[in-house]
Amino acid sequence: MDEYAFGVLTNIGLLSFVALSAYLLLVAGELSFGQQAFFGVGAYAAGIGTAMLGWPLPLAALGAMACGALAAAVVGLPALRLRGLYFAMATLAAAEMLRIAFELLHWQVEVDGEPVGPDGTQGFRGIRWVFEHGVEPAGFLALVWSLLALVLALIFLAERSRLGTAVRALGQDAELAASLGIDVLRFKLGVIAASGALAALGGALFAHHNTYIEPRNFDIMLGVHSLAYALIGGLGTALGPLLGVALDIGVLEGSRFLQEYRMIVFGGLVALLLVFRPRGILDERLVHRLTRR
Amino acid sequence: MALLVDFIQNTLDGLALGASYALLALGFTLVFGVLRRANLAYGPAIMLGAYAAAWAGQSFHLGLIALFGITVGVTVLAGAYVERLCFAPHRKGSAIAAMVASFALWMQLEEAATLAMPRHLYAFPGLHDGGMLTLGPLFLGVEAIVMLAAAAAVCVALWLLLYRSRFGIAVRALIDSPSAAELSGINVGAVSIAVFALASAIGGIAGFLIVSSHEQLTPMLGMWSTLKGMLAMMLGGLGSLPGAVAGGLVLGLIEAHSQWYLGPQFRDFLAYLLLFVLLSLRPPWMNTRSAY
Repeated sequence: MDEYAFGVLTNIGLLSFVALSAYLLLVAGELSFGQQAFFGVGAYAAGIGTAMLGWPLPLAALGAMACGALAAAVVGLPALRLRGLYFAMATLAAAEMLRIAFELLHWQVEVDGEPVGPDGTQGFRGIRWVFEHGVEPAGFLALVWSLLALVLALIFLAERSRLGTAVRALGQDAELAASLGIDVLRFKLGVIAASGALAALGGALFAHHNTYIEPRNFDIMLGVHSLAYALIGGLGTALGPLLGVALDIGVLEGSRFLQEYRMIVFGGLVALLLVFRPRGILDERLVHRLTRR
Repeated sequence: MALLVDFIQNTLDGLALGASYALLALGFTLVFGVLRRANLAYGPAIMLGAYAAAWAGQSFHLGLIALFGITVGVTVLAGAYVERLCFAPHRKGSAIAAMVASFALWMQLEEAATLAMPRHLYAFPGLHDGGMLTLGPLFLGVEAIVMLAAAAAVCVALWLLLYRSRFGIAVRALIDSPSAAELSGINVGAVSIAVFALASAIGGIAGFLIVSSHEQLTPMLGMWSTLKGMLAMMLGGLGSLPGAVAGGLVLGLIEAHSQWYLGPQFRDFLAYLLLFVLLSLRPPWMNTRSAY
C-alpha cells in the first residue's frame, strides 16, 4: 500500500468517529447539526494536552473525550427538552458559538523556543506527538482502526443489552417509551454525552494526524456531512455510518475517477438512494433479515 | 449626541440588513410551514440563480431587469428540481431523509455553480452609482432603501395572496393541519409545488437584492443564505410568516449593533447566543413541543 492509500483509509476511520456520533443521536431520535463542535473540542483539547502540556497521547485523548462529553452534556441539558428541528438548530447555535470561541482563543506557550498553541483564526500548529514518537503512517492507521473496532464492539454490546433496546424505543416514540418507565431525558443525556466523547476521540486523532487544526475545520459542513453519512449508510447497524463514509471518501475520492464532477454525481445518487431507502442502505429491516437465523 | 447618532445609524443599517434576512426567512418558512420539512438546498438554489445571472450578464451585457429575471427564474427552476427529488418522494415519509437529500442537492448545486464559474469573487452590477440619502448626520444607501421597500412590497403581496385568495386559504389550512386540509379536499401535492415555487421566487428576489447591493458574488452565498434564512425563521418561530419578518429584522439589528459595539467577531456569536438562549427558554411563539 502506498502513502495515498494510508491517507484515504485513515481519513475514513477519522470521519467514521464523527459519523458514528451522529448515528447514536439519530438512533435515539434526535437530529444534531452540532457534532462538528465536539470533534473540534476533542481536537483542541488533545492538541493542548500533548503539544502544550507534554502529556502522552493516550492521556490527552482521554482528557479530550471527557471534554467532549462535558461539552455535549452542557449543550444537551437545555437542548434535549426541544424536539426535531428546534433541537437541531440549538445544537447548530451551540456549535457555531464554540467555533467562534476557537477563533477568539489565543493561548500559546514556549516549547523548544517556539510558541505553540491555539492562535485564533491562524489555527493551532505543531501537534507533533505522533511524529516525535516515531509512529509510522501504518502504525497510526492501525491505531485509528483498532480504536474504531473497540468503539464498534462497545456499541454492538450496548445494542444487544436492555440499554440499546431502551434507546431504540426512545427513537421510535419518546412518549411511548416514557410510558414504559424509561427516563427519556436521562437516557438522551447519556446518549448525547457518549456521542460527544466519541466525536472528541475522532477529533483528538484528527489533530494528531494533521498536526495542524484551525476553527474552519469544525464548521457546519462537517456536521451535516456526518449526519448524511449516518443516514446513507443506514440506521440499522453501527456499521452503517462506516459504509456511508467509505462510499463518499473511499469509492469516489479514493478512486479519483469523476474528479471534479464528484459532488454532482454523489449528491444526485444520495438523493435518489433516499427515495428508495429513506433510512439508509443498511436499514433496520435489512439488518433484521440478515441477522435472523 | 454622537452616541445617539451612532445608535440610530446602526439601527438603520440593521433594519436594511434585516430586510434581506426577512425575505430569506419568508421563503424558508413558507416551505417549512406547508411541508414540515427544512429545505437545506434553499440557499444553494439562490446561489445557482445568482451565478447564472452573473454569467449571462458577463456574456451578453444584460441590464438589471434581465439579471433580476434570470436570478429569479433559475432559482425557481433549481427549487423545482429540489422539490421533485427531495420533497415530493418524502411527503408522507421521513423528514430527516428529505432534509439529508436536500443537503445532498446542496452539494450538487454548489458544485455546478462553482464548476461553471470557478473564481472566488465575481462582480455583480449594483442597483445605483453609489448615491446616499443623507438626513442630517445620518446616511442611508440607496440599496438599503430598495431592500426595505422590496421586503415591504413582498410582504404586502404575500399577505394579499395568503389572506385574500382561495389559494391562500389552502396554504394556511395546510400550515395549520395537513391532514385536515387533505380531508377537506385540498390538493396537497399541487399546493405544495406552488408554495415551493413561490418560496423559491421570494428567495430569488432576496438573492438578487443581496448580491446587487454587495455588488459581488462569492461561493459562500449558498451556505450563507441557508444559515441566515434558518436563523431568522427560527427566531420568529417555525412556519410563522409574521415571525419570519420579525426574526429577520431582529437578526439584522443584533448583527449591526453587536458589530459596532463589540467587534466583528461577536456579530455572529451574539445572534447564535440569542437563538440558543431563546430556544432554552422556550417562549410561547416557538412551538417547541411539537415534533417536526
